[in-house]
Amino acid sequence: MVFDVEKIRKDFPILERKINNKRLVYLDNACMTLRPSQVISAMNRYYEEFPACAGRSAHKLASRTNDEYAKARERIARFIGAKPNEVIFTRNTTEGINLIAHSLDLKSGDAVLTTDKEHNSNLLPWQMLREKGVKHVVVRSNEDGTFNFDRFLRGLTPDVKLVSMVHTSNLDGVTIPAKKVIEAAHGNGSLVLLDAAQSVPHKKIDVKQLGVDFLAFSGHKMCGSSGTGVLYGKYDLLRKLKPFMVGGDTVKSTTYETAEFLEPPEKFEAGLQNYAGAIGLAAAAEYLEKIGMENIERHEIELNMFITDEISKIPGLKIIGPQNPELRSGIISFIIEGMDMHYVAKMLDNVANIAVRSGQHCVHSWFNSCGMAGTVRASLYFYNTIEEAVIFIGALKKIAALR
Amino acid sequence: MVVCVIALVAFAILGIFSARYRKLAREAADCTFKKLTLRPCDTGLDVRIKASVTSKLVNYPRTAKFMHKNFDAMMTLMFIIMVVSMIFTGYYGIKGVYNYAQFGNCNGPDSSDFCIFKAALDAPHNRVGALWCTAEGCTCITPTVNCTVSGQNYSSCGGATCSCPA
Repeated sequence: MVFDVEKIRKDFPILERKINNKRLVYLDNACMTLRPSQVISAMNRYYEEFPACAGRSAHKLASRTNDEYAKARERIARFIGAKPNEVIFTRNTTEGINLIAHSLDLKSGDAVLTTDKEHNSNLLPWQMLREKGVKHVVVRSNEDGTFNFDRFLRGLTPDVKLVSMVHTSNLDGVTIPAKKVIEAAHGNGSLVLLDAAQSVPHKKIDVKQLGVDFLAFSGHKMCGSSGTGVLYGKYDLLRKLKPFMVGGDTVKSTTYETAEFLEPPEKFEAGLQNYAGAIGLAAAAEYLEKIGMENIERHEIELNMFITDEISKIPGLKIIGPQNPELRSGIISFIIEGMDMHYVAKMLDNVANIAVRSGQHCVHSWFNSCGMAGTVRASLYFYNTIEEAVIFIGALKKIAALR
Repeated sequence: MVVCVIALVAFAILGIFSARYRKLAREAADCTFKKLTLRPCDTGLDVRIKASVTSKLVNYPRTAKFMHKNFDAMMTLMFIIMVVSMIFTGYYGIKGVYNYAQFGNCNGPDSSDFCIFKAALDAPHNRVGALWCTAEGCTCITPTVNCTVSGQNYSSCGGATCSCPA
């Protein structure tokens, strides 16, 4: 498909809207992306045509729901190069990571290795396991935010049973060398879980090529519905895991004392599922594939290069992470010296309807260790344009000039 | 802190009419309390207010820069103006109510200046003692004892001067 950003933008109803007679410039895609009408229609179709339970009832609507839910799983599996029975639907990345933290039988003395830029969702589960005697080891990044492979190798001791790392950081956009990390970890006998919330929506990910054991991502960061996510796991590993949450649709049968669990992925999907969400997520995956993941990645980097080049000239503005935009995917995290980050974000919103995020982006641990209050973060996606970048740069210049 | 106090007063008044402002008033109260107890205001309300004000001026760079740099001083000035005007409003308001109750005119006896209470009550009239008299006639205000004025019997009317002007 030819990458035509103006044509793509027509798929997003919200981008047609004007607020205070100005266009919306949405640069908060690392938090939540916008949804195309294809995704909205797919979800509406569930509610309008077959709003029933899957896996329980035998009537026509339920059969249709069964089929569509299974198709959604297949679609998602294809999107990441997995098999359908390796795809567990979750509410978000956080739930996927928590599932592994609770299901993987980590014992006292075992260690979990993470980077120093983990989102709270890939930090708190391991902190909680300290009560069980599980150690949490942090690998510090380089000064510029890039991954330090030597430090990682030094931290990869025999007691490390799991390497759980953010694939692309939501803080500065740096992507770790996942393949090298996975190979080294496997050489050490460690499993690898990737927090792919910021990578799956922005670049082509093939779990088989990577060789990753577990991978979690969210639907709402890839044009999918809110409250959807996926945990991928190698089937043999999933079979060995204990279910994290149990209940309806996770078992073949029960007695008052025992339960016979279903095979993965069903044994991990307790209770009635978010069928509309899963169908919407599958539609989002299809939509992204039509645009082309390579196109998406290239477009974001080109925009980032343009913006970085321009805003680097603004006095007092400092970009967090590597200065080379090609290493930061679609993320530009910055501070303006002498200005509160929330103030800058609110000014961007007030002055030009520019939506960005400010604060510590759920990576409090990194900011606290650096003694930084936070940053303003602009995060790009394939529907952002050069015109929007120009508006953003212009507004930032005006705001920085107030210093 | 002053911006939080100003916001508290403004949002508390606006909150009478809209739930949206009630939430902001609570935020402002929390911010004020924290500042009074020497803790940082972590709601970000002060920052949002500053951004709202400054962003309106961004097309006038000099004014915007002045506001950005002197926001606290400007807010302190506004706070002083607000307090002074509240004192004056309170003083004259109470005085006006007193005058109106006592003399039937908020500006005091023997004054024909504009009185908002009279204007609000519409129609030309005179209050004389316990009677409210207009061109159409008199009605009772404080019914206590029997009374007859101008041949009309105000059976439940009372007060010291039961009479209407000629």
